[in-house]
Amino acid sequence: MRKYLTLFFLIPPAILSQSTSFDFHSPENIKKFADYLFCEGDYLRAIEQYELVNEKLDNDTTKFKVMLGYSALGLYNESNEIFKGINDKSIFYPDANFLSFKNQLISEPGMINAPSIHSFNSFQLESFSKLTNISMLYEDKFNISRENFIAPFDAEELNQVSTFYDYKVEPPHKSPALAGTLSAIIPGSGKMYVGEWGDGITSLLVTSLFAFLAYDNFRADNTTRAWVFTGLGAFFYAGNIYGSVASAQIFNARIGFEFNNGLELFLKQQNYFLPEYDFCN
Amino acid sequence: MQSKLNVFLLIIFTSSVFCQVENLKWRKADFSYEKQIHSSKRDYSFESENAGEFLTKSFTNAYWFFISDVDGDNCPFRPTCSTFFLQSAKETNIFQASLMFFDRFTRDMNIAKGHDHYPRVSAGYYYDPPQNYTLNQGRINYLPPAFIVDDE
Repeated sequence: MRKYLTLFFLIPPAILSQSTSFDFHSPENIKKFADYLFCEGDYLRAIEQYELVNEKLDNDTTKFKVMLGYSALGLYNESNEIFKGINDKSIFYPDANFLSFKNQLISEPGMINAPSIHSFNSFQLESFSKLTNISMLYEDKFNISRENFIAPFDAEELNQVSTFYDYKVEPPHKSPALAGTLSAIIPGSGKMYVGEWGDGITSLLVTSLFAFLAYDNFRADNTTRAWVFTGLGAFFYAGNIYGSVASAQIFNARIGFEFNNGLELFLKQQNYFLPEYDFCN
Repeated sequence: MQSKLNVFLLIIFTSSVFCQVENLKWRKADFSYEKQIHSSKRDYSFESENAGEFLTKSFTNAYWFFISDVDGDNCPFRPTCSTFFLQSAKETNIFQASLMFFDRFTRDMNIAKGHDHYPRVSAGYYYDPPQNYTLNQGRINYLPPAFIVDDE
């Protein structure tokens, strides 16, 4: 029995022992490991491994993958630093260039100021036009006709892009001056104009109540009490005008926030008009 | 017989050494359900940089001492209305801060309890900082209602 047990424990390690002749740290094997990590979506560790071998292999594919990895991790500036090292004769150069525009747009939202790249193929040119037009929406100055703006987009994108255009040209803002004026005429109406009905009605009731109390006390010759209510009523009245202006400004900030959010969501859904890269199959 | 005993001991010994310590895995977590006393964080000092700020601090201290501390933590907003007044005075001036306060007080009294358009702090109160009401469009930091602000 002891003999069998000894054999049972000795034979498997002898058969399955790790060979020392295998070089796990050769650049090729590190790259294979990095490729595996990249395909698993573990970009941070994949980049670490690629950077170990990049100088030895000088491979544009790995550089582009590092760029993709950094971009997927949200490290857009690092991604664009890698782009600087990619040879402009490389097959990946146009794709890397396009990716650098995406990184630029996310890290510093604004119009992409770049001449159309001569090495782009027709698909990339079309995607580049779409990205450039969308990037214009981030600028304060927006002077482009609807026809020119929507021209590069496909039929299924047109509806959404047209909505963005309309929002940019005529955002559904509320006028702070009008909100303040309305509240000055009828307390609370400025808030109602902005859509805050509850606050508006409360304001109307509170100001009216203090006005009535002041009037009633003046009529009853309770002068001190009347002036206290007058003061309070005046502050509620003025505060309501002030608040209506502030509410209109906050409403406009909300419109801007929702516009930018919608734009970001649209770009994410379209993957910033970048093609899908498949390095794993 | 001896070898059977050895195998038996090997299995028992291994399982007893590597067994999972259940009382560690399933023991109760030490959560505290005690609500923090809001007023304990208040600064009752009269430290201020100018006369306006001294005036607002005096009003606020009196309000805290005579009304709020006795009444309890009833303001649905963070910062609370009194703290909002203080912060507004620091941000702007005493006159503008008064207008901001009266507007905030009206919003606090909202008869329809229409507070759903405010983001919240982690404790559940509505987040409504004075920076959004200084009438400086660039200072407005709009946050959607679903947003939970980490820190009060």
